[in-house]
This record gives sequence, C-alpha cells and structure tokens, in this order.
Amino acid sequence: MSRAIYEVRGVSKRYGNVQALSNLNFHIGAGEVVGLLGDNGAGKSTLIKMMSGIVRPDDGEVLVDGAVAIVNSRRDSENIGIETIYQDTALVDTMSIVRNIFMGREMANRWGFLNHRLMREIAIEVLQSGIHVSGIDSPDKEVGDLSGGQKQAVAIARAVYFKRRILLLDEPTSALSVRETEAVLNYIKQLRAENVSSVLVTHNLYHAYQVCDRFVVMSHGQTVYDVAKANTSIEELTRHVVLI
Amino acid sequence: MPSSSFTRWAQSFRRTTDASILVVFVAIQIVCVAAALIAPTSFRYLSGPNISVMLQAIPSLGIVAVGVGVLMIAGEFDLSVGTAATFVSVVAAMLMNDMSVPVWIASAVAIVLGTLIGTLNGLITLQFAMPSFIVTLGGLLFWHGMTFLVHGAQSIGFRPDPVFQFVFGGSLGLVGTSFLWLILCCVGFHIILRHHRLGNQIFAVGGNRDAATAIGISPRKIKLIAFSIAGAMAAFSGIISATRVNSINPAQGQGIELQAIAACVIGGVALTGGRGGILGIFLGAALIYTIQDVLLLMRAPGFYLDIFVGALIVIAVIFNQVAGNRFRR
Repeated sequence: MSRAIYEVRGVSKRYGNVQALSNLNFHIGAGEVVGLLGDNGAGKSTLIKMMSGIVRPDDGEVLVDGAVAIVNSRRDSENIGIETIYQDTALVDTMSIVRNIFMGREMANRWGFLNHRLMREIAIEVLQSGIHVSGIDSPDKEVGDLSGGQKQAVAIARAVYFKRRILLLDEPTSALSVRETEAVLNYIKQLRAENVSSVLVTHNLYHAYQVCDRFVVMSHGQTVYDVAKANTSIEELTRHVVLI
Repeated sequence: MPSSSFTRWAQSFRRTTDASILVVFVAIQIVCVAAALIAPTSFRYLSGPNISVMLQAIPSLGIVAVGVGVLMIAGEFDLSVGTAATFVSVVAAMLMNDMSVPVWIASAVAIVLGTLIGTLNGLITLQFAMPSFIVTLGGLLFWHGMTFLVHGAQSIGFRPDPVFQFVFGGSLGLVGTSFLWLILCCVGFHIILRHHRLGNQIFAVGGNRDAATAIGISPRKIKLIAFSIAGAMAAFSGIISATRVNSINPAQGQGIELQAIAACVIGGVALTGGRGGILGIFLGAALIYTIQDVLLLMRAPGFYLDIFVGALIVIAVIFNQVAGNRFRR
C-alpha cells in the first residue's frame, strides 16, 4: 500500500451531546482514491469538514507526510493542498467561469490590478485539458448558467489548477445526471493517474466501487471497516454499511 | 412564471446589464431632445441654463449612489448615507465658522468622519450578524438627531475660499466641476470593481458569501471596506452639495439614501448583491434627475416625481428578477 500523505490519529469531536467523531483513525495514500461510506450521521461530513479546516477537533492529531501538522483554518488546509468540493459547490453564480477559477487567488500586478488576458488564457487551457463536460464553450460564461455537472467540473478544474494533492468530494454526484456523474467519476480516475488523491463521500456504493481503491466504512464516529477494493465486493460493502 | 420568450429576452439583455440601462437612457434622451426641438419655447430641455442646472444636480446623488452601489454589490445596505452626509458637512461648516479651520482641512475631516461612520455601520452589522438594513436605519435616525444636537435646526453657512469653490462647485461652460468629480469617481470605482482584485472579491462576497469564505476570502474584511467606501462617498457628496449652495440645512439629507438605492436598482444592481456596475448606477442617477427635470419643465407638481421613480424602481426590479436565474430553478 502507498505511503500515507495525510493521516488523522485518535480524533474526537463532540457537538453538545452528540459524539460526531470518537477516537477516529483515517489515512490517505498518495494517488489513492478512498471511498468514505456510512449511513447518515456516521460522522463522514464532520470528518470532511475537519480535514478542510472548518471544524476543529477536540482531541487527536493530524499528520501530513508523517509530520504533525496544525489544521485550524481553511488557509491551513489550503497550504497542505486540500480542496473540498461540495454538492453545492463553492462557486459564485453571478460571476464568470474565469473569475470563479481565480476567485481569491487573482492574478494581478503588484498594485492589485487584474491580468485578465493571462487568467482567461489559463482558464481556457484548464477547461480544455481537464474534464470534458460539453457545453462550456467560453470561460466568460456565467457560472449560474451552467448545469450541475458543469459546475462540478469548474470546481474540480480549479482545484487541479491550484495543484491540490487531496480532493475531498462530499456527495459530489448527488445532484447530477447520469452522464454528468460518469464524467466526474472519470475525472477522479484521471486525477489519480496524476497522483492526486481523493476522498469520495457517497451513498452510492456503485459509484464508489467504480473509482475507489479502498473503502472506509464509518459508524457512530469511528471507522468500522477498512478494506482494499481487491479484498471486497459490493455485496460485502453493502452489508457493512447497512448492518453496522 | 412569465412566458419563456420574455424570460429569454430578458436574460439575453441581462448579460450586459449596463447596456440595457444605457438603451433605456438613450431612448428617453432621444424623446426629450426631439420634444425640445419640436417645441423649443414650451419645453426648454436643451436650453443652456437647464442643461447646466441638471449637470450640477446629478453629482450630489450620483456620488452617494456610487458608494451605496459598491456596498450593495458586496451584499449590504446603508440607509444612513443621507443624514450622515449632512452631519459631517455640518461639522465641517462648524469647524470653519467657529474655529476658523481652513475649508480644505475641514472637508478632509468630514470625509474621514464619513469613512469612520461607514466603518462603524460595518462593524456593528458584522459583529452582531445583523441585517445592515436595520443597523443603518438606526444610523439614519441617529445622525439626523446628532446634527440637531451639535448644531440645532437653523441653516449653517458653508463659505469656502474661491479656489475650493471653483474646484468643487465651479463651472467650465455648461459643465460643473462637481460633475467632473462624479465622472472621476465613476471611472475610479469602475476600474476597482472590474479590474482590481478588491472588486473581484467584492463581487464574490456579495454573490455567494459561503463560496468566498470557502475559497479563503474574508467576507468581513471586504464588507468593511465596502461600508467605509459608502461612508466616504456620502461625506464627499455632502461637501459637494454644501459647496454648491453655500449652506447646509440640517433637515436635508433624508430621502437621499432611498434615491441612491433607487438609482442603483434602476441601474441594474441586484438587491441580493453580486451583480451591478458603475455605468448603470451613473445612468440610474442621471435618469432620476432627467425625469425630475422633465417634470419641472412641464410644470408638473412634485409628487409626479415620486410616481415615476416609484414605478421605475418596481419595473427595474421585476426586470432584474426575471433576467436573473431565480425562475429557472
């Protein structure tokens, strides 16, 4: 198995009376696609939020490339190279694709004036090289005019351009059509070839089985099953998700 | 749901919000000019004095509207701009009249004060996660009262030296220098909004606050800057108005905030933030004064202005609403 580039050890998080994560261990290898499974309330989303720096754990530690790291903010996780892609993706509908890709990371001269030409050229390149979701003919198109799949594509393209090592995908396909879902899953595979790791949270075991190298099943804030794809089947995964 | 052809038409128009208000503006101008050419004696739209007066009236509203518009694009409102502008210009006049402070310094103090008032609105709004509409409604009343507290109800003279008078209230032919200041503000903020990092982040925060946060932009910082811009522009407009008439009436200023929001909305700024442009805001302000001017020339009673502007606001919002994405989800 590949070396862990990111690892959480003994992490706990409590919201009032609810123990969202309890002494949880989880790791991601380089170029590995991990399927994070489990029923509602198992703690998947809390884990994702914790890894993206939005939620602080009460206890436990985070290791990046084997060294202890502090992830207390979105900035920290960004520096590590983590990008989270939500079902309701972090894009601004009223802005163009180019402006969305470079939002908060604008290319500008030293006085802050934007280099429109360069950003536009890069955006065209990024959109053409990556996922090929049809219909995006111009980077000047407003994101609000795109379909759900196209939006995911833009968000993923943005993550890739900014050299993310780990993509956290929280139910990325739940709002997508079958074709769009297929495209997003293919894109995850493509990224794996470029050594980008992904954590895919999904309820759809067939989607997970299609792309993931390893499966982690969560229940009551703990990992209860951790298995490589070669050693399991959809039937077995279903049993673990449903029965535990 | 409106018919799909109308929706599509409105959507194609929206892609260039500025362009659509420009079309409306030019159409109205053509009608006015044609009427003035047909009946030059009864409708004196093209007479020198009329053009000159109109160009002097637009900046007071236009400069406030630019600041309010930037803030609206960032997703917040400021209802206190009118009374805050009156307050800071009364303070400037008192510094000049009672303490012989030079007008340049007094005006600078007023603009700094206006910026601080805007920043205070922002701090309260963001700190307590309140709607800025409510916070600045409080501000509207507060600064109105403060003006009467520090000065009283009588008018106060604002008599700058001749150089200041020319720079901010003089005229070059038909065009007043105040109008040139408005143009300067418009060009400056257009460049900031469209071609500067700050503008991009103002649109991002106003368009989708959560997305901006997720990508690492601080909505708090961006909104505070926008609030302070609104306050600074309001104060600048207060000084321009005071210079134009050489006196300040403490009761004035109320109503400007709504006219400024009206100018923005007519100009295509979304009430929900994230959409709008300076050209639209400028044309919105100019349109309000064009209507006012036409009604005056036709000797219509003042309330007609309210009727026309009121209808225009609602039409503009309907248009923006239909043109936006809301009907498609």
